[in-house]
Amino acid sequence: MAATKHILLALVEDKPGVLNRMASVFRRRGFNIQSVNVLETIETEDSERPGLTRVAIVVAGSASMVGPVRKQLEKIVDVVKVSDISTRDEV
Amino acid sequence: MKLTGAQILFQGMVEEGVEVIFGIPGGSVIPLYDTLPQYPQLRHVLVRHEQGAAHAADGYARATGKVGICLATSGPGATNLVTGLANAFLDSFPLVAITGQVASSFIGKDAFQETDTTGITLPITKHNYLVLDVNHLAGIIKQSFHLARTGRPGPVLIDIPRNIFLEHAEFSYPDQVDLPGYKPILQGHPAQIKKAAKLINEAERPVIIAGRGTIIAQAGAELKYLAETTQTPVVTTLLGIGCFSEHHVLSYGMAGMHGMAYANLAIDKADLIIAVGMRFDDRLTGRISGFAPHARVVHIDIDPAEIGKNVHVDVPIVGDVKMVLQELNKLINSTQRLKWIEQLESWRKEHPSLEIRDSDGLLPQYVVRQIYEATQGDAIIATGVGQHQMWAAQHFYYDKPNSFISSGGLGAMGFGLPAAMGAKIGQPDTTVWCIDGDGGFQMTIQELATIVQENAAVKIAILNNGYLGMVRQWQELFYKRHYVATPISCPDFVKIAEGYCIPGLKITNKKDVIPAIKQAMDHQGPFLIDFMVEPEENVYPMVPPGAGLAELLEEPRKKAKAITDSNKLPVSNI
Repeated sequence: MAATKHILLALVEDKPGVLNRMASVFRRRGFNIQSVNVLETIETEDSERPGLTRVAIVVAGSASMVGPVRKQLEKIVDVVKVSDISTRDEV
Repeated sequence: MKLTGAQILFQGMVEEGVEVIFGIPGGSVIPLYDTLPQYPQLRHVLVRHEQGAAHAADGYARATGKVGICLATSGPGATNLVTGLANAFLDSFPLVAITGQVASSFIGKDAFQETDTTGITLPITKHNYLVLDVNHLAGIIKQSFHLARTGRPGPVLIDIPRNIFLEHAEFSYPDQVDLPGYKPILQGHPAQIKKAAKLINEAERPVIIAGRGTIIAQAGAELKYLAETTQTPVVTTLLGIGCFSEHHVLSYGMAGMHGMAYANLAIDKADLIIAVGMRFDDRLTGRISGFAPHARVVHIDIDPAEIGKNVHVDVPIVGDVKMVLQELNKLINSTQRLKWIEQLESWRKEHPSLEIRDSDGLLPQYVVRQIYEATQGDAIIATGVGQHQMWAAQHFYYDKPNSFISSGGLGAMGFGLPAAMGAKIGQPDTTVWCIDGDGGFQMTIQELATIVQENAAVKIAILNNGYLGMVRQWQELFYKRHYVATPISCPDFVKIAEGYCIPGLKITNKKDVIPAIKQAMDHQGPFLIDFMVEPEENVYPMVPPGAGLAELLEEPRKKAKAITDSNKLPVSNI
């Protein structure tokens, strides 16, 4: 399958090490990350709770490779949700 | 009430029902150990190497279903845990590992005994924490136990700097966790369950492959109902052993690389695979392109990331195995599958994978079988990794969950002895046999001292062939008998045992096997038997690496027959 550009948009807890945990999923499989953007934190109402942050990761790979990676990212406890937005029409 | 970090940690463990901690003290955890006597309800088992702590906690978890606890100091203590954590991670067992860390102000400065423990263990734990504020500790403990034991279980590590143990915080143990990114799916999707039921009801040659998820979910009764109602043969993965009684008429034993020939042939000819709480490991599937070529696949598992990872799945059902099977069982029809069962029975006769050949020599399979006979199957068997592990999986009949304790995914030699010790400490009234090889036994042999100190009456059977046997088998079969670095010398294990005040016997003759096992069982404490078995005995059946399940090798001395062409067993004739 052809390698196409995928944009993975993740909603994650704003904690130290989250980016490391996510990067590790790509590193283990020898995936080269093309770009990473960490967006501004959305504060929660409870000041004790860490806020949530959006992380956008761009990678090149086939759908059959990126699909499992997306699921592995979602397994990370600090990661709330990951969408592959490159498959959406609006992108 | 203000408590120190050390008190918070132990109080949290008490709240979580912890009874046993396997650990070794060291510099950064001295303040923690100093507090331990305040909690007499927590039994501390002093192991001889941190790898033993992790494996023992793992064996304890496997035998009891509870969370196993291991404790180590910073630096080398933490790095020595790594093999044990990886082992629990790959086999999905619940551990909480506590590591001391250098004081917060020293972190990142290459201080004495500092390692980046959370960095090192990140890919081999379900989750890990570095505690930088004593006020967060209670919440982290609560989360750690929750993560370890729920969903797909796994090890969780908490790295705690030395100063945190000494600092004070108000203690109140939270009664719930707030983890927005962690919500295991328990209920299977009703539409998917309906689709699965339809496939099961329409199938002619279904096979259930049951894995450890069935044991975790305690779904043995539901599995049995499904199998009996639909008359579906059940094979298990290595870690699924015990989830379905191997005495049941529908049990066809373990499948995979050293699985029963008839189990593998059944998968090869099946028109439906019902995979229950398992993950299609390569040791189970053989060559993926040749796996169950005629079958559609229903896959039930709690971990969404396992669905479609290794094999194509027609009907995925994400959920707790017990809950999914309860719903599925409402939709299945009572069926007779006489032709299919007849076919499996004829394979069972034609390919008697468990027949031990007549020999005056001391065969390792015979030793395992005699341990089975002596215990009547009422025992926990813990193994290392290699040939002895496969013989222990094959030639002992398991009919209870958690009775076979073995390193599956990681394949960690040295697991046997500490795991058996952890199992015995967790289940003191159950007979525990450690069946190990002479190579792997030397990897964690120092835990003999712990066994004696803790009076853990583990019975040890070493199947001693003077080789790193499984590697030697591969060298014999696939590397032209080029035995490089596999002949291995060993000490006189009986004398070694004697040095640890453990009685032992060296057995070289077949006729002495039964009396030796009896003597070991009659003895009150730990006992070691060194069985000098046939040096070049191989494990059969064997699916060679890269081969499909039907291309299996059977014991040549029994019959020189390798089934190389799966077309010899045409589907149309079944």
